[in-house]
Amino acid sequence: MVLNTTMLSWVTFIYFGSAVLYIFRMVTGKEFWGPPATYTALIGLLAQSTALVLRWIESYKMGIGHAPLSNLYESLIFFSWTIVLLYLIIEWRIKSRNLGAFVIPFAFIAISYASFSPNVNSRIQPLIPALQSNWLICHVITCFFGYAALTIACGLGLMYLIKGLDRGEGSSAFFKLLPNRDILDELSYHSIVIGFIFLTLGIITGSVWAYSAWGSYWSWDPKETWSLITWLIYAAMLHSRLIGGWRGKRMAIMSLIGFVSVLFTYFGVNLLPGLHSYF
Amino acid sequence: MRKTIFSFLSSLKLTITLLIIIAGASILGTVIPQQYGAEGAIHNLSPGLIQLFEALQLFDLYHSTWFIMLMSLLSVNLIACSLKRFPTSWKLFRKTPSLDADRPFQNLPPERVITIEGKPHGLIDTVESLLLKRYKRVRKKELERGAVFYGEKGIYSRFGVYITHASVLVVIAGAIVGSLLGFDAFVNLAEGESTNTVYVTRQKGIKQLDFTLRCDTFSVSFYDNGMPKEYRSQLSFLKDNTVIHQGPLLVNHPITFDGIRFYQASYGTIPGDEVYLSIRKGNGEAVAKTVKLNEPFLLDDEDTRSEVVRIEENFMSMGPAVLLEIKSPGNSTRFWVFKYIERIVERFPGILEKFPKFNPGLVKPYSFSLDRIESRYYTGLQVSRDPGVYTVAVGGFFIIIGFLITFFGSHRRFWIKVEEQGGRSRISIAATSTKDPVGLDREVQHLIKHLSLVRD
Repeated sequence: MVLNTTMLSWVTFIYFGSAVLYIFRMVTGKEFWGPPATYTALIGLLAQSTALVLRWIESYKMGIGHAPLSNLYESLIFFSWTIVLLYLIIEWRIKSRNLGAFVIPFAFIAISYASFSPNVNSRIQPLIPALQSNWLICHVITCFFGYAALTIACGLGLMYLIKGLDRGEGSSAFFKLLPNRDILDELSYHSIVIGFIFLTLGIITGSVWAYSAWGSYWSWDPKETWSLITWLIYAAMLHSRLIGGWRGKRMAIMSLIGFVSVLFTYFGVNLLPGLHSYF
Repeated sequence: MRKTIFSFLSSLKLTITLLIIIAGASILGTVIPQQYGAEGAIHNLSPGLIQLFEALQLFDLYHSTWFIMLMSLLSVNLIACSLKRFPTSWKLFRKTPSLDADRPFQNLPPERVITIEGKPHGLIDTVESLLLKRYKRVRKKELERGAVFYGEKGIYSRFGVYITHASVLVVIAGAIVGSLLGFDAFVNLAEGESTNTVYVTRQKGIKQLDFTLRCDTFSVSFYDNGMPKEYRSQLSFLKDNTVIHQGPLLVNHPITFDGIRFYQASYGTIPGDEVYLSIRKGNGEAVAKTVKLNEPFLLDDEDTRSEVVRIEENFMSMGPAVLLEIKSPGNSTRFWVFKYIERIVERFPGILEKFPKFNPGLVKPYSFSLDRIESRYYTGLQVSRDPGVYTVAVGGFFIIIGFLITFFGSHRRFWIKVEEQGGRSRISIAATSTKDPVGLDREVQHLIKHLSLVRD
């Protein structure tokens, strides 16, 4: 196996370790496990960034140089990278590790699917003509930051619903460590806003690219359509919150539904025929 | 009545319902094959279902009357909502803010009130200069034993939402302009051929261009692993038989000529007009010969003239074949020469006896075989014109601008009252914000900290 792929499969274990530490911290209620969890995630992120740079350099050595964002394997790796990056920024900003147990596992799942699924080819492949465009980088980066923020919103929605099971007095450390529901609601709103803006940017950059590659900025290709469906779901959510004053449980459930739509936009579309079939 | 209709059209319920219905309809469109895809998949459906789907225009859902109606209703809803809300925002923007000394301070939590030693004179100036430095539209009213101030920031953020919504309408307008005045077409052009006719995709008609398009060459190259690397058509654009523009057309690099954009969309091969034959006379050696369609050639004896009169890439599903005509004085014979004659004979024993016209040795003493038909590339071009595209692009840009203003700005309003109370100064800070209560709280804390450090 090539160095970068080996490194990336190691990063899978590092993220696994970090997720376990975050969960352990939640279950035992001991902050003792917190810093190791953060540092493990940080080490994983640095190792992953290095591996991505190495992979980029490697592709140039092969004479087919391009950013490592061009197939399912590379997109999954990048997806986990954006999740961890965004998560660590949030952890640093809100000075709380409580979200880790609900977010880092998503990053672990994404990267382990890339590393271990037999259906995902980890080789560096050259770019087919349709992908030979500078818009590739803009489009993939904006889309995946959007996906990552919406993944985090989903994690927050889950936390909100679990917190609802809290019976108050005498509940376990796990429940006590879950932030209170107002904070979760507010954080989830912020993640959705970030995700929604990046999703919009992803759709716009995709349209610009489609206009120069396929001759039309919008052709109702299944992936395009699903990105619109996801966009409509989150648009409905934001309107019901900002104008209708929806809060709490309904929003938490909506953020789970929205995430299913994100997943379908990302993976499900591979089951349908269309122009994005190389992804 | 008019009021009820307006309040229905401008209701949030309608917005949410429409967004969800449009999302649901779009899902349906990704499950049911659309347009050309439908032609292939239609066989798996029962006739009744096909009829139903066709009646509901489900095979071209995104262009169906009812889908367009939904989109129009959403646009109306968007306009109605803005009409309903904009006057309030505008009034707030134009009107000088009220400076009530009591109302804003009702029910103020105790942590928003601080008391400082000393009389308020100097403090009033400090508050004023602080507000003037940080906030807009600062106003002051003297009170009997102090003063009350107003300051605000970020009122522009109330208008972000109108920018976004107007931009969505701009995008829709651009899309309508594009679909009414633009077109999408395709044309397949073999190397060396030219045309001024393209086939319009949606209306299934043809369109004449004001110029002639010629494909000079087409080439495709591959990476070592067999993946395609580049498709390249060398195109010429001619008017009155003079070349006006020439250039290579690649995927991701369209060419615009006369307001019409050309895209490299596909390619393929078609049989050319050259055929590679092997001819054997009696038991002699086979001789290779390259002949052109409809160009007679001589066999060994001077009297026999031969000619390839038809070339078929896949004749009767039996592979490449050419129709050969052999004329000797007073005699003319036509017969087919197949490329895979051995396999055909193997599969259909006795075929040559049954159909003598398939026998490559029909004209004695010659025996023919077809080695290959020369093939030519054709390039598949997408041809389109979309006069609405810049409108859509501008709309898209301002959607994002609107988002940034709406989501990252908030209209924060502050009322600060400084009063003397028993020889000490009491400062009350009331604040409201359109969004982001956490951020507002942080800012109030900051103000309190700042003011409690002031000693005069």
